[in-house]
Amino acid sequence: MMATVEAPVLLITVLYFVAIIVIGYYSRKRLKSATDYYVAGRQIGSVVNGLALESTYLSPASMLGLPAYIFLIGYPFWWAMAAIIAGMPIATLLTASALRKYAPTSFADYYADRYNDQRLRWLVGIVTVIGAVLYITLSLVGMALFLLAVAKVPYIIGLLIGTVIVMLYVVWGGMIATSWNAAFQAFLMTLAAVVAAIAILIKLGGINGFYEAVAANNPKFWNTPSDEVPPHVFSGTWIAVIGWFFVWHYGFATMPYTVVRFFTAMDLKTARRSIFWCTLAGGIFYMALQVIGASSKLMIETGPMGGEGANAVNILKEYMAKYGVGGWTDYSMIAAVEALQNPWILGILCAGGLAIAMSTAAGWVMVVNTILTRDWATMLLKSKYARENPIRVARIVSVIFLAVGFLVGISPPGLVLDLSGWAFIVIISALGPGLVLGLWWKRATRAAMWTTAIIMTVLHLIAWLRAHLVLGHHAYFFLNDVLFGNKAALITPHQVWAVPVGFILFIVVSLLTKPPEEEVVQKYCVELTKEV
Amino acid sequence: MPWPPKVFWAGLIVYYGFTALCWIAEATSGINHIVGLPFWYASFLGTFLIPLLMSVIYFYFPEKAEKARGGA
Repeated sequence: MMATVEAPVLLITVLYFVAIIVIGYYSRKRLKSATDYYVAGRQIGSVVNGLALESTYLSPASMLGLPAYIFLIGYPFWWAMAAIIAGMPIATLLTASALRKYAPTSFADYYADRYNDQRLRWLVGIVTVIGAVLYITLSLVGMALFLLAVAKVPYIIGLLIGTVIVMLYVVWGGMIATSWNAAFQAFLMTLAAVVAAIAILIKLGGINGFYEAVAANNPKFWNTPSDEVPPHVFSGTWIAVIGWFFVWHYGFATMPYTVVRFFTAMDLKTARRSIFWCTLAGGIFYMALQVIGASSKLMIETGPMGGEGANAVNILKEYMAKYGVGGWTDYSMIAAVEALQNPWILGILCAGGLAIAMSTAAGWVMVVNTILTRDWATMLLKSKYARENPIRVARIVSVIFLAVGFLVGISPPGLVLDLSGWAFIVIISALGPGLVLGLWWKRATRAAMWTTAIIMTVLHLIAWLRAHLVLGHHAYFFLNDVLFGNKAALITPHQVWAVPVGFILFIVVSLLTKPPEEEVVQKYCVELTKEV
Repeated sequence: MPWPPKVFWAGLIVYYGFTALCWIAEATSGINHIVGLPFWYASFLGTFLIPLLMSVIYFYFPEKAEKARGGA
């Protein structure tokens, strides 16, 4: 392991920080109204919006977590990553086009209008705020972890620097600064992963050399559940592989931090095309992460920390003991790239890691500052101050959320970081049915919206916590021990069953309750989805 | 009842169909053990090219239909 930080790493990291501060500073000149602050005046073009979608949607959980999952679960996990990217185009016609046609300002607008109930702004806002706090914390911690492990910046200093810089550009330029910075960050994080993956492929002798070297290092890596020995218990059955495939698949169509980016596009055409750019950049990024994740065990064991009889898990535990933040798997991606012993690649990786983390934190801050300032303070609480000073209040809210993320991030409990995975499925299962079926099903009712949002949030929390705390991992079905007497009987990552259950519950309650008003259905269901 | 356009379902069938075929081929013929092949079908095609083609048809055909209707 490199004991000291090399000049190229510091140089690239500092240049990255300077670039995003400059972009943020100049963006503020274009800020003239609350609409500019909330949705960038709906003036973002398809390339910038698409790249911003990529970097906002993909969090440090992608850059650190997914290669770590490949390290653990083996090749079958590649399909989970493929499904995340395939979920992007699916959103185009499922939610993005109709929502851009509707042109709301906040994530809660559609729910309040479609179900003709302004109180839904509270409910949708609460679920979103919970997700935001968890994701902002996760992103700030991920950012500080990159600074610590790659640039050797003390954790607390890194956390502070990153939080303040995100705060600066969100406060200065709102969604305008966030969009332009997120586009730049998308370019950088994609470049970082691609450069590292190409360097690994060259080192291992091309694609076939990479395949054979990985197989020689870990003979069961390329196995599937149909082979005699699967790579891991979490990829031990086809049900498990299908569970991983679907766990994050529909997130892009329904998660607040991507949905609001459909509102920032110039028009319907731009919204659709921005998803093309997002899929292009995201696909390249994920291909690179698949290569890095697959080769990480080999790279770590044959790198400077490895040698004859080296064990990657033990090496990563040494990383963990040295840095003391997160879990040992969080270091697999960084350790694999560090094994290349190229400070320029490491520098780009550091900037890319910071980019993916900061863009997600900023994206979530923009979602919640709009909900709290516009929906809650102005529309529900009728605050005169918030109505007259929307940008100032939104800025204060942004600072508060980032400060909360910073404070929780100082000594982040492992459970808080893991809970971001819980939050992801909660939002899809609790709020997703109301969004998707609200658009495509005339019969979707207000009662179903309330019931599904409340029941799925509570049910999924109980299930996820039981799987995590009692059975030992969120990937075990939470009733495995009760139903099958075996905690590993059924693998349901992050309790992914909650997504179909949420949709079924929504449909059943809708059919049992009073149909919605025809005028509302015509306006927010039929008209919006016509010719998308 | 509103219904997503045909191109939406075409994209879904292509993607899920491709994935299912790959899994069937892995389970029955062990194509995952052919040197380098998983990179091409799971990574290049499954993660990059097919999702990208879906994103293209999902803007190309709606725009074509808009033009035919005399829109933008």
